[in-house]
Amino acid sequence: MFCEKAIELIRELQRMSDGQLPAFNEDGLRQILQEMESLYEQNQSDVNEAKSDGRAELIPSIKLRHCCLLRNQRCVAAYLYDRLLRIRALRWEYGSVLPANVRFHMCAEELQWFSQYKKSLASFMRSLGADGLDITQDMKPPKSLYIEVRCLKDHGEFEIDDGTVILLKKNSQHFLPRWKCEQLIRQGVLEHVMS
Amino acid sequence: MSDPPSDDGSDAIHDDGQDVMTPAELIAKLEEAWLNEKFSPELLENRSEVVECVMEQLTHMEANLQRVKKGDAKASMHRMEIDRIRFVLSSYLRSRLQKIERFFPHILEREKSRGEGDPSLLSPEEFAFAKEYHANTETYLKAVALKRMPPNLQTVDMLKAVPEPCLDSFVFLRVKERQENILIEPETDDQREYVVDMEEGSQHLMRYRTIAPLVSSGAVQLI
Amino acid sequence: MDPSEVEFLAEKETVKIIPNFSLDKIYLIGGDLGPFNPGLPVDVPVWLALNLKQRQKCRIVPPEWMDVEKLEEMRELERKEDMFTPVPSPYYMELTKLLLNHASDNIPKADDIRTLVKDIWDTRIAKLRLSADSFISQQEAHAKLDNLTLMEINTIRSFLLDSLNCMYKLRSNLQPGSSKGQAMDY
Repeated sequence: MFCEKAIELIRELQRMSDGQLPAFNEDGLRQILQEMESLYEQNQSDVNEAKSDGRAELIPSIKLRHCCLLRNQRCVAAYLYDRLLRIRALRWEYGSVLPANVRFHMCAEELQWFSQYKKSLASFMRSLGADGLDITQDMKPPKSLYIEVRCLKDHGEFEIDDGTVILLKKNSQHFLPRWKCEQLIRQGVLEHVMS
Repeated sequence: MSDPPSDDGSDAIHDDGQDVMTPAELIAKLEEAWLNEKFSPELLENRSEVVECVMEQLTHMEANLQRVKKGDAKASMHRMEIDRIRFVLSSYLRSRLQKIERFFPHILEREKSRGEGDPSLLSPEEFAFAKEYHANTETYLKAVALKRMPPNLQTVDMLKAVPEPCLDSFVFLRVKERQENILIEPETDDQREYVVDMEEGSQHLMRYRTIAPLVSSGAVQLI
Repeated sequence: MDPSEVEFLAEKETVKIIPNFSLDKIYLIGGDLGPFNPGLPVDVPVWLALNLKQRQKCRIVPPEWMDVEKLEEMRELERKEDMFTPVPSPYYMELTKLLLNHASDNIPKADDIRTLVKDIWDTRIAKLRLSADSFISQQEAHAKLDNLTLMEINTIRSFLLDSLNCMYKLRSNLQPGSSKGQAMDY
C-alpha cells in the first residue's frame, strides 16, 4: 500500500506523546522519498502516454498516484514540523545547551534549525528594554517564601536577594528564597528538603 | 534606614503621550494585557509602550537597589516586588512568542496586508523574530526533505500547512464597560440568534469571535 | 492557567498584619506600604504578609469573613440556593489555603475554617459541574457566570473549553466547505 511508511512515521511520534524526541528516522524518510520518486516516474510516463496515445483510461491512476504523492509530502512535513515543536520545547526546558542524549536523536539539519532558533530567541531577548530580559527564566510565579534546600554538588558562591553571598558546598543545607532556587533545583545543584 | 532615592512611586508615565499613568496603573495595565494574551486564541495587538515603561521601572529600581547596603529590610521587599513584576512581564512576552511561533505564517501575512497607519500586531522585535523563525523553518524543511522530492512538490504552502488560530473558541470574560445588544449566534440549526446586555462586573462564557473587538478596546477582560 | 498563577494573583489581595518591627513608609512600584510600627495594624499584600510571617516579623489578622459563624451561614446559603451565591473574596479558596498553611497559629479555629471552606468549595464545584454539563448538552452559545471565582473557573477551564472546541470541529466538519485552515482532504 502507498503511504504506509509515511503513516508509520507519524505513528512513531504519536506513540511518544509526552514531548519526548525519538531518534530521527532517516531510514523511514528515505523510503518515503523513494516511493515518491517511483510514483512520480510512473506518473511521468503515464502522462506522456495518455497525451501521445490518447489513453484516457490512465487518468484515474495518475490521479491516484498524485494524491499519494501529496499525502506523502504532507505526512513528511507533519513529521518534521512536529519534531521541530518538540525540539523548541526542549530549548525552554533545558536552556540553550541540550543534553547529549537529546542531540544524539536529532539530524544535522535539526541541529542547524535549533542553533538558528537559539540565535533568534537570544537576539529577541537582548532587544527587550535597555539591558534585555531573559524570558526563559521566571517560568513559575515567584514565591515570597523561603525553603530548606540541600546542595547536591559544589557550585561555588551564590548571591541571594539581599546581597548576601553564600557558599554552595556539597551536602550543605540552606534556608533560601524559593524563587532563587528554582533554576538550581532544575539543574540538579540543589534539592528541596521536605520537612 | 533609607529608601533607594527617587522612587516615590509617583513618577508619571505617558501612555501614547495622552493619558498619564502612575506606576501602579502601569502594572495593572500589564496584568490586564497578560491575562488577555493568556486566554485569547489569537495574538493581540502589541503593548510595547507598556512593556517598555515596565522595563524602565524595573531597571530604575534595580539600579537604586545596587546602592542600598546589604541586608536592608526594604531592599528585600523591593526585590520581591521586582520578581513578581518580572514574572508577569516574562510570562506575557512568552505567551506572545508562543503564539507567534504557532501561527507565524498567518501573523506575517496579516502584517503584510496591513494598511498604512493601522496598528501593528507585532512589536519591531517580535516582527524580526517572526521573520527569522519563518525563514529558518522553511530552510529546514527544504534542506531535509523537500529538495529531495519530485520537482512539483518542493514547496509547502505554510499558510495552509500551519493551522490558524480558532477564533470560535469559547472564552471566559469579565465586563469592564457595560455593553448592550451583543448578538449571540446560534450553535445549531434549530436555535435562533439572540442578543444579551452585559452589565459591568458580570462574567460570561461565550465565543471569542463575538467579543474580540471588546477585548481590543479594553471593554472586557478575559479571565 | 496554572493554579500557581491563580494563587499568584490571590497574593495581591491585602491583609492586615501586626508587625513587631519599625520601618518607614516604603514606596513600591505598585503603591506605598507602611509605615510599620510594633503592635500597630497595617495593610499589606498577602505575598509580603506571608514572607514577614515566615520570618517571624508579624502576626497576621485573618480577614473578617474567615470566621466560623459567618462561614457556616455561607455554607447553608450555598447549599440552599441553586445559583452561585456571592463569595466573601474573589480568592476565598486560595487565601484560606495560604493563610491556614502559613499562619494557622494566628487564625482561631483554623481546622473548622478549613473544613467549612472546603464544604463551600465542594458545593460550588458540584453546581459548576452540573451547569457545565447542561451547557454542553443544550449546546448553549452563552452563559452568565456571575459570582464564580477565577480558581473555580480554572478547575473546569481546559476540560470544558477543549470539549466545546472538539464538538465545534466535529459539527463544522459535517458542513461541506467549512474546513478553512483545518485539515486538507488528502
